[in-house]
Amino acid sequence: MKSDLINFEKDDHHCTLFVQGDVDLSNSSELRKTILSALKTSPLVEVDLADVTYIDSSGIAALVEGLQYANNHDKSFHLKRLSAHVKSIIELARLDQVFTIDD
Amino acid sequence: MTSQNHKTPDKVIEVTDLVTHYGTRKILDGMNFEVERGEIRVIMGGSGSGKSTLLWYILGLYKPTEGRIKVLGEDINQISFNEHLKLKQNIGVSFQSGALFSSMSVGENVAFPLREFTDLDENTIRIITRMKLEVVNLGGFHKLMPSQLSGGMIKRAALARAIVMDPKLLFFDEPSAGLDPVVASEIDDLILSLRDNMGMSMVVVTHELESAFKIADRITVLDQGKNLLTASVEEVKKSKNKRIMDLLQRRSRHDKLDPEEYLRRLTQENYTLS
Amino acid sequence: MTKLTQKVENLGQMTVQALERLGFAMRLFWDSFYWLIAGRKYKQRLRFSQVVKYIKSEGVDALPIVLMLALVVGMMLAIQLIYALEAFGAESQVLLAIAKSVTREFSPLITGIIVAGRSGAAIAARIGSQTVSQEIDALNVMGVVPVRYLVLPPLLALIISMPLLIIAADIVAIFGGALFSVTKLDMSISAYMVDSFNVLVVGDIMQGLIKSVVFGIIIVLVGATTGFYVTNGAEGVGKATTTAVVVSISFIVFADMIASFFLTK
Ligand SMILES: Nc1ncnc2c1ncn2[C@@H]1O[C@H](COP(=O)(O)OP(=O)(O)O)[C@@H](O)[C@H]1O
Ligand SMILES: [Mg+2]
Repeated sequence: MKSDLINFEKDDHHCTLFVQGDVDLSNSSELRKTILSALKTSPLVEVDLADVTYIDSSGIAALVEGLQYANNHDKSFHLKRLSAHVKSIIELARLDQVFTIDD
Repeated sequence: MTSQNHKTPDKVIEVTDLVTHYGTRKILDGMNFEVERGEIRVIMGGSGSGKSTLLWYILGLYKPTEGRIKVLGEDINQISFNEHLKLKQNIGVSFQSGALFSSMSVGENVAFPLREFTDLDENTIRIITRMKLEVVNLGGFHKLMPSQLSGGMIKRAALARAIVMDPKLLFFDEPSAGLDPVVASEIDDLILSLRDNMGMSMVVVTHELESAFKIADRITVLDQGKNLLTASVEEVKKSKNKRIMDLLQRRSRHDKLDPEEYLRRLTQENYTLS
Repeated sequence: MTKLTQKVENLGQMTVQALERLGFAMRLFWDSFYWLIAGRKYKQRLRFSQVVKYIKSEGVDALPIVLMLALVVGMMLAIQLIYALEAFGAESQVLLAIAKSVTREFSPLITGIIVAGRSGAAIAARIGSQTVSQEIDALNVMGVVPVRYLVLPPLLALIISMPLLIIAADIVAIFGGALFSVTKLDMSISAYMVDSFNVLVVGDIMQGLIKSVVFGIIIVLVGATTGFYVTNGAEGVGKATTTAVVVSISFIVFADMIASFFLTK
């Protein structure tokens, strides 16, 4: 699968999703589906948010749902390289204390 | 729901020569008012000076007698009803009284716009709703009914509902009225962090000086239905204008009295303001 | 200003106000159907769960009281009609008289009055208190059309449940008539019931059903209009509730008369 919003790299143990551009109501369900299907096949999913220019609440909710699924199914879900915008939104809801955030 | 800066115009509000009446009584009289993107604008002015009225007209609750109102680049009295409905989804409003739906729990109140305007599924709606309640420090209170909340909690719940759609523009009528100073100052911090983290533009009506000086980028002072002054906090503090000094010192202003008119007000059976 | 000119002026103002509200109510009716049809397109869709909720609270919950009064009215009609018809030695006509008057007149009227008292008051109180607490303004600024959210669902609910209430009231009122009449007529209750339905024509039943739908519409529009016009806080809400009931019952009686006139040849 290839789209403007999400690209991914995958090996046996690990899958990284690279998200770019604006995440909003029009495409957050795509992000959510991609995260959940990646979690079904990989024990560790990382979401790279370095190129996200904007994320709305439904986008953040998709990330939370990923974490919820991972915790319920003994998988790992990490965020990685938050863009400044993503970082400030995540901190506003104090979710930086909930997610595992890698550099 | 998008608040991407590149899609928001430089001037989020442009009010030109606005004249409004309630019945035959003129309230706003040639109002000019502009707010820039990302700005926190505080509106001040004596009680009855038309602060709330200005908000109602910008929000399109009434039709003006004269003048033009542009919000997020759209002339709200030119666009179609349905375009206006769409525009409203980019605008959040926190009412002076909260105006929470009394038949719904706090959580249902906050979720309401999402249920109405998005196709998100229940799990996502629940997460967004709880997240917004966390932002306003009401985490875990979603099950309470509005009647069970204190004044400060009502304001915060109303704020959570106002920001649930990630609006580009947020209106806040009297955020700290009737709250104790500690709670009021928490709400000020919240307003600042919403602007800083989400990049919202805001219009805040208040008559708490301390709060205004803390949050405002610029302050607009209304008087008798006109924009008396729009200036930075520093300029307002230094202003030599009599009315503004009165306002700052909270002295009640004594208009020059027309004795005949005054007597009529006191005695005439059918007196109405004209 | 003299007392008289003052009174004339007040009367004038009241007329203008009444006309304004009438116009408002018409507008509500029109807007309701506009949003019923256009709602989906503009994200103002009607929620079926909301209509179902109102069918329960405005229709199903009114059933026991409607049935009880229908039974009593049926019995009362039997008593009076038998007494009156006996004078002509025409007691046997009581069955016909009850069946026709119940379906055409009494069951829609009683049901209308009960529903006006329950639902009309409830709608006025609900919308009135939401007006006072700025909940209506909140809906407006969010971009939710208040009519679509607050008026259309109870309107549909009553348009659906009024006829159903009427049919139930018809049956029970005729049964009430039967309870009293069967000894006089020397019939079994079941034979009485069957005969009653045989003497009824489609027009009899339809007249009741059409009236009931009109009454339902009146109740919702009057309740909602009074609610939207509330000022003066909690006291205003109380007053609006009373006004809604009185005005809608008056309109119902008038509409009933007009409908009876045109539907009865
Ligand atoms: N809905 C209304 N109908 C009639 N008059 C109103 C209404 N709202 C406000 N007013 C009047 O308009 C004037 C300005 O009110 P408002 O805008 O609420 O002032 P502020 O918010 O600055 O205290 C006041 O004199 C008030 O009585
Ligand atoms: Mg005010």
